[in-house]
Formats: sequence, C-alpha cells, structure tokens
Amino acid sequence: MKDLIYKEFKLAIHPTCYLFLLMGFMLLIPNYPYYVAFFYQTLGIFFIFVGGQANNDVYFTTLLPIPKRAAVKARFGIIVIIELAQIVVSIPFAVLRNSLNPAANQAGMEANAALFGLVFIMFAIFNLIFLTMFYKTAFKLGLPYVFACGAMAIFVGAAEAVIQLTPALKIALDTLDPSYLPQQLAVLIFGMVVFTLVTVLAYLRSAARFEKIDL
Amino acid sequence: MENGRDILSVQNLNKSYEAFKLRDVSFTLKAGTIMGFIGRNGAGKTTTLKAMVNLVHADSGSVQYFGMDLQTREAEIKQRISFAFGGVDYYLQKKLGTITGVYKRFYDQWDEKAYENYLKMFALDPNKKIKELSQGMQVKYSLALALSHYAEILILDEPTSGLDPVSRDEILTIFEDVVDGNQASILFSTHITSDLDKCADDITYIKNGAILFSEDRDSFVDSYRLVEGPLDRLTEELKSVIMGFHQRRGEFSGMINTRDLKMAPGIKCSPADLEAIMVHMERKA
Repeated sequence: MKDLIYKEFKLAIHPTCYLFLLMGFMLLIPNYPYYVAFFYQTLGIFFIFVGGQANNDVYFTTLLPIPKRAAVKARFGIIVIIELAQIVVSIPFAVLRNSLNPAANQAGMEANAALFGLVFIMFAIFNLIFLTMFYKTAFKLGLPYVFACGAMAIFVGAAEAVIQLTPALKIALDTLDPSYLPQQLAVLIFGMVVFTLVTVLAYLRSAARFEKIDL
Repeated sequence: MENGRDILSVQNLNKSYEAFKLRDVSFTLKAGTIMGFIGRNGAGKTTTLKAMVNLVHADSGSVQYFGMDLQTREAEIKQRISFAFGGVDYYLQKKLGTITGVYKRFYDQWDEKAYENYLKMFALDPNKKIKELSQGMQVKYSLALALSHYAEILILDEPTSGLDPVSRDEILTIFEDVVDGNQASILFSTHITSDLDKCADDITYIKNGAILFSEDRDSFVDSYRLVEGPLDRLTEELKSVIMGFHQRRGEFSGMINTRDLKMAPGIKCSPADLEAIMVHMERKA
C-alpha cells in the first residue's frame, strides 16, 4: 500500500490540491460561509480523477502486480489524506481569525470545533456519493461530481438552517464562547465518527464495484 | 525456463457483449517463442488480451500462466509478465525517470543495472517526457520496463501499429533478440501480416471472436494455396472449397486448403503468404 500511495503522490495528485489547501485562509474573512473553504478541495480531488482519465491511470495502476481493489484503497487513502490536511491547515486560520476578530460571523457558523465536525460530515457525503458513483464505471466523472456537490449543498443548507433556527443549537454551536466547547467537541467527534464509518463503507462499495467492471 | 514448455494457456474463454461475442477462445504459448495474434480490426484481439490480465472479466474459461490460475494468483503472475497497449499510453506529461521510479517499487526482481543498460541500448533519455518519445521509442521504453523486472512473458497489444517500416523492423528485431536470448516469450497482436512473416514462430488467428487456427507459422502458411484460372475450367467441386472466391473478365481466383489440391488438376496453384491467407479468409463471398 505504501508504494501505491507513493504512486498517487508522484503521478496522480493534481497540483491544485496543494493550492486549495491554502483556501484555509478564507477562515480569516470576518463574515463568510466557512464551508466554502473546504468545498474547494473537493474540486482538487475531482481534478485528480480528470487527470487520471487523461493519463490512463486506471490501466497503469491495474496492470501493476497488485490486487484490483488495492488501486481503489490507495485512491481513497490519498483523498482522506488531502481532506484531513485541508482541515488541519485550516485550524491555525480559525484560531487566528477568532483571536484577531472575535465578532460573530454574520454569514453562518463560527469557525469553531462544531464547524469542523460538520465539515467532516460534508466530506463523508462527498466520499460516499462521488467515489461510489465514479467506481461504477471508473470513467464517468461529471454526474458523480454534480450529485456529490448537490448533496453537500443540501447538507450544509440543512445544517445551517437547523442551527440558526433552533435557539438551543444556535447558542451552543454557533458561538466562540468557550463554555460551550463540550457541546461543540461532541459535534466534532460525531463528525469524525461519521466520516470514518461512511468513508469505509464508500470504500467497500467502490472496491466491489471496481472489481466487477470491464476496463 | 525450459524452451518449448507451455507457459501460458488460455482455455475456452467466453465473453458476451451486446454486439460481440468471444467464443471458446483457446491457445497456448510455448516458452522461447514469439506468437503473433492476428485478426482484423474488431475480431476480438484486444478483448482476449484484456481478459488474459483480468481487465475484462470472462464469462467462463480459464487463463493459466506457468501452471498458475490467473483468478487465484493474479499478483504473483503479474510479477512475472508484462502487458502493454501499444507503447506507453499513460502519464504522457511525466518524465521516464519519474514513471520508472514509481514502477520499479512494485517488482521484487527489479534490476536497476539492467534497466540502465536497456536505456542505453535503446537510446532512451530518462529526463524526457513520455509525450516527447516517438511511438517506436515508447514501445522500447515499455520493453525496457518489462525486461528490467525479468518479465518472462511479454503481452503486447498492437506494438507495431502506427510505426514506420524502419521502426517496425527495429522493434521486431528486438523481439527476436529478447526471445533468442532466452529473456522472455512474446505474444503480440497485430493486423500487419508482414510483422509475422518476419518474426513469429506461431500464429493464432481470430475471426469474429473465435479462434480459427493456432499453430506454427510455417505449417499454417503451407496449408493454403492460391488458385486462379479461366472460369470454364472451374468445377462445382472446386468452387465449393474455394475461400475468398473472386471472378472478373472470365477469370476466377481464390484460395484452397492444400489438402484439396487434388480437386484442382491443371489449375494454376501458388503458395499463399499470410496477407493473402488473411484476405481470402475474411473476404465475403
């Protein structure tokens, strides 16, 4: 697996993935829907697949002496690494924003632990829809991405609506007040658990689909 | 690897698509030989080759390499074989050195020294990008990769299509050297019959998804004769055994099986070459 991950970094990763990591700086914007900073990276991941298609990655990889599902596992591996990196890179920007400008974000959730928990769920939805749909054909990219974006938008819209319209949630989650940190950490942990379970499920389904298709 | 031993055996491969069927495809490749896999475009060459490396899943049948079943020992088998579509059709923007750096990590037997020798022998510059290589150079690069991990069977899909005659000759000569130096056995598909005239030991001929013949080239070629003559000398009996029958201006031509020669007394018969055999086999009556 180590060699396949190496291959993903050496050949498959798209340079925009590194560029989009810097989108974490958007958390410095005083009033902004901060999910957008993370959404950009799904575009970077999409570009990995576009590049893969143009470069016949699927043939290069599946002709190596590896089990076919290992190719899927490695691709999931690099995507999870990128998604986690996106979150990790954003943390200092969130800390900086909140210490520089403690005023409330008028455009949505504060850049707090709960936001990161919701971002984990957003990435989980992306992985489930985009990757399992893609591995049905290992070729068609457009529709899976459109569906994944649609589902992420619905999730973000619904999460924001519920939090903003439910006073108890708004008070506890959409705030920088440290006394609500336990509630926010609960959302973060919940998001991490959802991310892990859903991504593993997405991998299992994708690998099973990929093994069945004729290339 | 002891020459003459079966090292690859394809048995009764079947695969159905909506508009195309692979039907009971069977043949064997012997160690120390070059087999040409021939058929017109769309006959099922690439599908067969893909099924032989699990890119395509056959509905039934089996593929064995070195006595090992592909379905159960795929990774082990792939350490000992190499498969390429034409030359190198992946990661065109990357440098040879970068691709090799990734590729070699997967092969237990990778020999860096041998690789460097092949680069020199084939005049390949590792700092060049794949897209900067001519098609012939791409085939050479793919051979360099395969030979540097001591692949014992090279499976190549149309390695010579699109090459100029000089490059084609060069590649075929490399094939001969590889096989004669006991480095590997080669199975390559082509629709260019002169490739096979030059270097194939055995020929497997596929038509409409079914294998017509798989045998050694010389006896294959020897089993056909071209016939031609005036129409008034053509008997019903002879006409019934002629393949690719053609008539024009009172003359007929076609091909017969050598065993049917007795049906053509006094008719002009001449040896057929591979191209003539292919054309007559495929010609619609």
